[in-house]
Amino acid sequence: MPRTLLVAFALLSLGTRAGAQELHARIDAHVEAKSKADGVPLSAPADDAEFVRRAYLYFAGRVPASDEAKAFLADARADKRAKLIDQLLAAPEYATRMTDLFHVMLMERLGDNAEWTKFLKESFASNAKWDVMVRKMLRADPKDAAQPGAAFWLAKRLDNYGQNPVDYSGLTRDVGRLFLGKNFQCCECHDHLTVDDYKQQHFQGLHTFFKNTYLASNTKWIVGEKPTIEKTGFASVFTKVQMATAPALPGLMMIDIPAVVKGMEFSEQPDRKTGAPGVLKFSPLKEISERLPTKTNADFTRNSANRVWFLLTGRGLVHHLDLHHSRNPPSHPELLDLLAKEFAARDFDIKFLLREIALSKTYQRSSKLPTGAKEAAHPKYFATALERRLTAEQLLQSVIVATGSDAKAADALRAKYVKAFANQPREPEEEVTPSLKAALFVLHDDAVLGLLKPTAGNLVGRAAKLSDADATDALYLALLSRAPSADERAAVGKVLAKHPDKRAEALGRVAWALLASMEFGVNH
Amino acid sequence: MTRNLICTPAEHRVTRRRFLGSAAGAVGLGALANPLVAEELKKQRKQVLFVWLDGGMSQLESWDPKPNTPFGGPYRAINTAVPGIQISELLPNCAKQMKHLALVRSVSTQDNSHSAGVDRIQRGDPKNRGVTYPFFGSAVAKLVGDGDSGLPPYIWVKPMNGGFIYKDAGFLGPKFGALALGDGKPPENLLRPKDITADEDDERNDLRKLLDKNYTKDRRAELTEANSYAYEMAAQLQKKIELFDLSKLPQKDQDRYGTHDLGRHMLLARRLLEAGVTFVKVTSYGWDTHGDHFNGAASLHPKFDKPFAAMIEDLADRGMLDNVLVIACAEFGRTPRINGHIGRDHWPEAWSVAMAGRGIKKGGVVAGKTNANGTEVPHDPVDVGGLFHTWFRALGVNPEETSYRNAGQPLPIAHEDMKPVKEVLA
Repeated sequence: MPRTLLVAFALLSLGTRAGAQELHARIDAHVEAKSKADGVPLSAPADDAEFVRRAYLYFAGRVPASDEAKAFLADARADKRAKLIDQLLAAPEYATRMTDLFHVMLMERLGDNAEWTKFLKESFASNAKWDVMVRKMLRADPKDAAQPGAAFWLAKRLDNYGQNPVDYSGLTRDVGRLFLGKNFQCCECHDHLTVDDYKQQHFQGLHTFFKNTYLASNTKWIVGEKPTIEKTGFASVFTKVQMATAPALPGLMMIDIPAVVKGMEFSEQPDRKTGAPGVLKFSPLKEISERLPTKTNADFTRNSANRVWFLLTGRGLVHHLDLHHSRNPPSHPELLDLLAKEFAARDFDIKFLLREIALSKTYQRSSKLPTGAKEAAHPKYFATALERRLTAEQLLQSVIVATGSDAKAADALRAKYVKAFANQPREPEEEVTPSLKAALFVLHDDAVLGLLKPTAGNLVGRAAKLSDADATDALYLALLSRAPSADERAAVGKVLAKHPDKRAEALGRVAWALLASMEFGVNH
Repeated sequence: MTRNLICTPAEHRVTRRRFLGSAAGAVGLGALANPLVAEELKKQRKQVLFVWLDGGMSQLESWDPKPNTPFGGPYRAINTAVPGIQISELLPNCAKQMKHLALVRSVSTQDNSHSAGVDRIQRGDPKNRGVTYPFFGSAVAKLVGDGDSGLPPYIWVKPMNGGFIYKDAGFLGPKFGALALGDGKPPENLLRPKDITADEDDERNDLRKLLDKNYTKDRRAELTEANSYAYEMAAQLQKKIELFDLSKLPQKDQDRYGTHDLGRHMLLARRLLEAGVTFVKVTSYGWDTHGDHFNGAASLHPKFDKPFAAMIEDLADRGMLDNVLVIACAEFGRTPRINGHIGRDHWPEAWSVAMAGRGIKKGGVVAGKTNANGTEVPHDPVDVGGLFHTWFRALGVNPEETSYRNAGQPLPIAHEDMKPVKEVLA
């Protein structure tokens, strides 16, 4: 049934744009062509229960509430999936969810800041374009009174941590990784040993944009720049040949450093009293912010498209995300070209790209293996949906919504959830990594168990008033957006039969089991 | 002659597979019905205690003193229990245990920075093959196995934070990472709240396992397996909670080991080894004495001397030195030259490593030597690759015949151009 619905839907949408095939259909054509060529079977489309959970988790940052799931499952319209995607993209929760998603990707748990959150949230709420957002982050303009939080991305990386000096190398590495998809870390002292494309010049050229930046205020997160008046000298530790570079994006021309009379570098002098960093006549940050996030910078367009694809599907077309180079080609080269081109053509409209990928059959495939398949195909085929990691915030919001707890409870619990589920700072949260710490948290912490104690209004309290069968259904719908299987129903029935006098508590433990299951803990 | 009560040890050992297989569950020693089998298993244990003195302990104030030489410093050399072997007067207790110890005084390694050195030494500094090699603890967890403790095979007792440190495992994959017990404390949330009984806990976990089984039936299994492993580890650790309560140990033990970090952590390590954990690493920080080195050593070295000697004595008393390979190591030694701050800097060129126990020659041995002033190793320097060969041999793993496989590629477990230090092997 779902398959025919999808086909009908695909035909319908094709019909609306006579001739011009929409991006989501072209995505599928590329993915299907490759799996066909390599004889890799595709999984069936996700069923409605799987899809509604996936979409809510992704776009609203939480599992669907019981009535939302029920309404979707009962909806008979052929285009209900597209309708749901559009509804979620338009909902206020979209900006909150994207803020969390991009915060985790861009800051990698280095730190958080209210102005930064505000910058992200406003940007996503107004569907600001991705190149504009990146420009603001790299420019870190202390004169931007409207969105000073954009500077936090750079400012936090100029902060000392512990007794370590400012990690300029790490900053250069992160610009390369997150905005260009290339990790030049190993090229600080010599050309890369295993990746021929990555040169010491690339690291040093990029580094030269940032080497004179400093943190003017670590309370207001203001970035300052000292004048850049000459090239950076460097030499490979192997060849010892002296080289020099002006600021340069990898593979692009060096930027001329204008000759300035000493003492005349600033058009507005730094103010020692107020700590204002002044305005340079030649600002490398201004240069990179104008040159990096552009339609003509292939590193930027390809990395951006690849990362958006990864955020939805759980794996980059180029894998790993920060290893774009000629000997690590995309799994689907034409598809990455297409996505990068379309993203740029739409002025880096994130919502457009998210929507098209979400509409694809590729995104909407089940995480169950194809019928009869003994083992999973290589993930690069996207033949079966990959399990995607939930952020600490997604888990928290899901637990709150599913257990029917007061939304205000989230604020008191947030720090605990982050501690239990987030990675260490500087470790990208790209993969599902079950941990002892998280297991013990779910098993024993009151931040989880407290929400499963029956109260008048919460899930367990309400279920306690229902028959065994209805209570089981209610818990499954709330936590897993599906009905229990026969063996699960029987197992729950057994537990409840054992505790007639403490039935509500027993229901709490059943709810716990659903919450602690792998099925709840990932977006599948 | 002892009859071997175990036909196929593999059947009885708590293998990683069984740890993962939620249905089978994990079986600890205590759960084995036959006490004779349990005893036999204990005898077959292969274990490691790896004491890591982070920052680098001075060889000149410990295993390789050079009194009355230009760089020798103010401390004397003292006789040990083994005639002809002298060590620094800062290690008087270790001197008494010399008959159990083997010293390699000709260690000469490649890296003089902490950041790279710690990794290089603990990964055995193999040839670059474009992969990240496992730390020694992860390597032993993989090559020797989980053991019979019901606990994770690689436990790291350290000051400050704990957690599961999977990066140690390199290409072996996260499951071979280290369970780090920060400040020797059990992980947070280890104890079940009082209002959940053991039966209720089993009840809810059985239901969780059923859900995971159903979920994984027609999906990729790896992640769910890793998740089940985390829950199994949680359950096993809970059963061993008493291990962490050192207050119940005799006061005498606490006095002998000391109440400072390294003392408490070594005592916990002994308990973990007694419980059968395959690899226990104990880290002590603060050995990087670039300034005021000699006063520093006077307070630091006794903190190592007492618990290390007590550990050797206890393991010997319990017959455990036949099973446990003990190693005291760091990322490098310290410069013979004394710097302007009366300190010693980083010196990988010539330093010492001490070992004892399983597979190591008994009676007190010294292998290799430095020159008269202790500045270099004139003959047959031993790089860490050679130490890895020695340690694997001591554990009965032959690096010539054993290799890892990573994505189909065979990889040597120790640097293939290096050789074990035969003089210290039993």
